[in-house]
Amino acid sequence: MIGITLAILLVLLAAAIPVAAGLGILGLALSEIYSRLPLSLAMGEMAWATSNNFLLVAVPFFVLLGEILLRSGMAERMYGALVLWMPWLPGGLMHSNIAACAMFAATSGSSVATAATIGTVAMGEIEKRGYSERLFLGTIAAGGTLGILIPPSINMIVYGVLTETSIPKLYLAGVVPGVILAGLFSLTVLVFCLFRPAWGGTRTTATWDARLKALPDLIPPLVIFLAVIGSIYAGWATATESAALGVLAALGVAAWHGRLTMTMLLHAFEGTMRTTAMIMAILVAAYFLNFVITSIGLTTQVNRFITSLGLSPVQLLIVVVIFYIILGMFMETLSMMVATVPIIAPIMFQAGYDPIWFGILVILLMETAMITPPVGINLYVVQGLRKRGKIDDVIIGTLPFVGTLMLMMLILSLFPEIALWLPRAAAD
Amino acid sequence: MSHLLSFTQRAARGGLWFGGALVLIAAIVIGIDVVMRKFLARSIGGADELAGYALAIGTVWSLGAALLDRAHIRIDSLYVRLPMGLRVALDFAGLLLFVGFFALVAWHGWGVVEQSWVAGSRSQSALETPTVIPQALWFLGLMAFLGTGAVIFLDALVALLRGDLGAVVGKIGTRSAEEEVEDEVRDLKARAARDERSIGGERP
Repeated sequence: MIGITLAILLVLLAAAIPVAAGLGILGLALSEIYSRLPLSLAMGEMAWATSNNFLLVAVPFFVLLGEILLRSGMAERMYGALVLWMPWLPGGLMHSNIAACAMFAATSGSSVATAATIGTVAMGEIEKRGYSERLFLGTIAAGGTLGILIPPSINMIVYGVLTETSIPKLYLAGVVPGVILAGLFSLTVLVFCLFRPAWGGTRTTATWDARLKALPDLIPPLVIFLAVIGSIYAGWATATESAALGVLAALGVAAWHGRLTMTMLLHAFEGTMRTTAMIMAILVAAYFLNFVITSIGLTTQVNRFITSLGLSPVQLLIVVVIFYIILGMFMETLSMMVATVPIIAPIMFQAGYDPIWFGILVILLMETAMITPPVGINLYVVQGLRKRGKIDDVIIGTLPFVGTLMLMMLILSLFPEIALWLPRAAAD
Repeated sequence: MSHLLSFTQRAARGGLWFGGALVLIAAIVIGIDVVMRKFLARSIGGADELAGYALAIGTVWSLGAALLDRAHIRIDSLYVRLPMGLRVALDFAGLLLFVGFFALVAWHGWGVVEQSWVAGSRSQSALETPTVIPQALWFLGLMAFLGTGAVIFLDALVALLRGDLGAVVGKIGTRSAEEEVEDEVRDLKARAARDERSIGGERP
């Protein structure tokens, strides 16, 4: 049963059948082969129940929030201010890139949006100051992945919904690892530039006067972060409600910068609903597939199979990490999560791993997937912004940060408290 | 054919606007609800239920536009290495399976709507919404999507019969990562240029 399921799934996905259709067809096929009752009878009820799930309403809210921010002029101003504050480190603006990504990640739920937004404003600086082009591109591709680790995060919402884990707790658990990872990314740049000073470009200087004048440009991202994460931390709002507050704050920022127009809103609507329809189509199909998989006893069989291997929890963890790293080279992250988390997460929970902790590990693995070739969406985003040269430059420049991500996973495994401490502190 | 296609494209864009407006309204109502609950100890009541309907209805009315714009994710690692003829065959297979799956969802979805109508069921909440209302709007959206899918299929079929494989790929092929990014970059660049102008205007 396990073999046949995997075979059908692989054939459908490799044939470039849209992921939503692939998952749905797999569900129908399994029901046809293994179930005495036609499970498709439940499709209508399930599709409706999934579609109006209040938890999932957070998804279009965050996409809309991102679409509004993208058009609000906030990122340019924020980057401008960070450029004035960060250039004293060896590696100069590359640290600004990472800081800008981290800060934008605190308002955005998507890594692609983060890399694209910061990349657009940063790209012009490479030649001006003689940076190592490869490493500079790497800071944007890798820094962008912080988008899904630092809350809010669309991938965390999906993980939370699939595993019935508290999304607010996942958000809070992502904060400390997010800050540490941003620090480690910066450290990576620092180490490279200490050994190869020429890569760090020419230093820039800024007067304190200019620095202080630029500070107000850092306020809008802070306001949005406080609206979204502050409201959760204070216990005023659920994950979906905090996303709604974020949308209101983003509208405020756009209006403040004089960018809130009807045309701008309609463009934001188009981008939002195209992405939402894509995600929801996958989720509707995935819910049906998971229902079938549970009904025909496949989950139990996979569990039994894993148990029969007699792996220790640590061995199991290593197998899972390697599995995701390999899969992540070829698959897009959302499809990968929807197809694998419902099966793998229960096994990990049974082996004694904390659902919140494992959620953060999965997010780190998804970040890795976004920057590992041949299929790493952030590599394509950065190469697309650059519009010249070969994508190999981006891939090579990003490679050191793949190492940093591995290091972060090791740290998270050795010290699970860095993820678990904040959600517990908030609960007390 | 081209009239039908351009009508479908306009309608699909309307669907996106409709869905986006629903989502924005839901965000505003929920935002106000949170603030009222906190500071006035009062609640609108049922905002979460309505937001759920907004998501369900907004999604189905946007499915067609996402299909037209080829926004539904396909994993093309192997696909891009295949010969053109095979790729086009997979494009048609993918389109048919996608639309077919949602046709089945709609078929069973009709049962849900019918039952709500016959039983006169209402939501178990303070609003007591007759569930047939949001469900019917959802079902209509699914029907509109099936119509859009049919038009896309016919349009691609006409291109295929003309022997214009390039046009078929342009209509139902995968947006290769490059192409997609190019679009996005063009967007961002245009926006950046606009922003530069407006910032320049603000701070002379």
